Amino acid sequence: MPTDDDNDFLTGTVPDPDAEPTAAERAHARTFAELVDKTLAGRTPPAMSADDRALLEVATVIRAASGKVELPASTRRSVVEDALRQAVGGAGASTVIPISRGRARRWAPWAIAATTTLVAAAAVLLLLLRPAPRQATASLPTAWTSRPTDSLFGPIERDRAGDASTRIDTIFADRLDGYRDRQLARGGTP
Amino acid sequence: MKYPLILLVMLITACSCNSPSEPPPTTRTAEPADAIDQNLMIALSKAKNFHHKAKVYMSDGNIADAIASVREILSLQFPPGAPEGEDVRNDARALLAKLLLGQGKPESIDEAMRVVQEGIAQSQRKSFFVANLYTVEGEIHEARAATLPAEQAKDEKHKAIEAYDTSNQIDTELQKQLMESK
Repeated sequence: MPTDDDNDFLTGTVPDPDAEPTAAERAHARTFAELVDKTLAGRTPPAMSADDRALLEVATVIRAASGKVELPASTRRSVVEDALRQAVGGAGASTVIPISRGRARRWAPWAIAATTTLVAAAAVLLLLLRPAPRQATASLPTAWTSRPTDSLFGPIERDRAGDASTRIDTIFADRLDGYRDRQLARGGTP
Repeated sequence: MKYPLILLVMLITACSCNSPSEPPPTTRTAEPADAIDQNLMIALSKAKNFHHKAKVYMSDGNIADAIASVREILSLQFPPGAPEGEDVRNDARALLAKLLLGQGKPESIDEAMRVVQEGIAQSQRKSFFVANLYTVEGEIHEARAATLPAEQAKDEKHKAIEAYDTSNQIDTELQKQLMESK
């Protein structure tokens, strides 16, 4: 790029603000606009003058600051981490925690606390809602049960050893009482 | 990695704390088989009728039919495990043995002994009816002793005493248990 007085607007005299732009200035502006467009399209020319590169950087920053450009998330994180690394006095990379891991560390205790609370609440609910153990009243009265008949007689005397007929009458009568009681208690259903 | 692992352990622990099976019931509920049911009453009713039938035969001096009627009781079907069934059968055996003994024939005396000893062997528990069987066994030994010469009768008499002692022992034990349970 030529560096004559007309074109060297960085080092030359400052023109009057109300003065009409010269043809050279217009041409330079068009050339620079094309350069900016190429850069934004990702086709930055490999070679340019130092002045143009400085102007191009300024233009890029101004465009980004206007909110029209958004950096990719990875780039953004990288920029922030670089800034943090510098802020902590240039400590080694191992001491700087990446933002994503830092977020996880911040949320993990809360997540564990919430899960534990939920599990405890579920356990308490189970304890309260579980079916009650079967009651002792579920057992039958003795008179309704099939059982040894010894208590009806006591020891059988020798002279009554063959008196089974009388004893079967007693056994039958006793068990019939229990059977009838049970039937009546159940509403007559067998 | 550390936090998910702790979380996993806590979840597993929580689940395992809540999953054990229900504790056993505080009181065992009565199963239908424990209750007096229709089958037991039918068996008892039949036994009662066979006994009365035998009594009628005996009153007529018809010992053979009385014996046959009492034998029917031994083949009655009681509910499995019903204590009444064992008691009724043992009582029928005692009567049957006495009827056989009353016939006075040596083969009847042997059969009487077999009836009694089978009853004792098949009994699942000690009862006044088992004690009664030992009493009848003693009577059978006495009856045998009466048919033997004095020297040979000693053994039978000794067995008779043993049988009576066993009967008394069972009665004493059961009576004590009954007194304690009251």
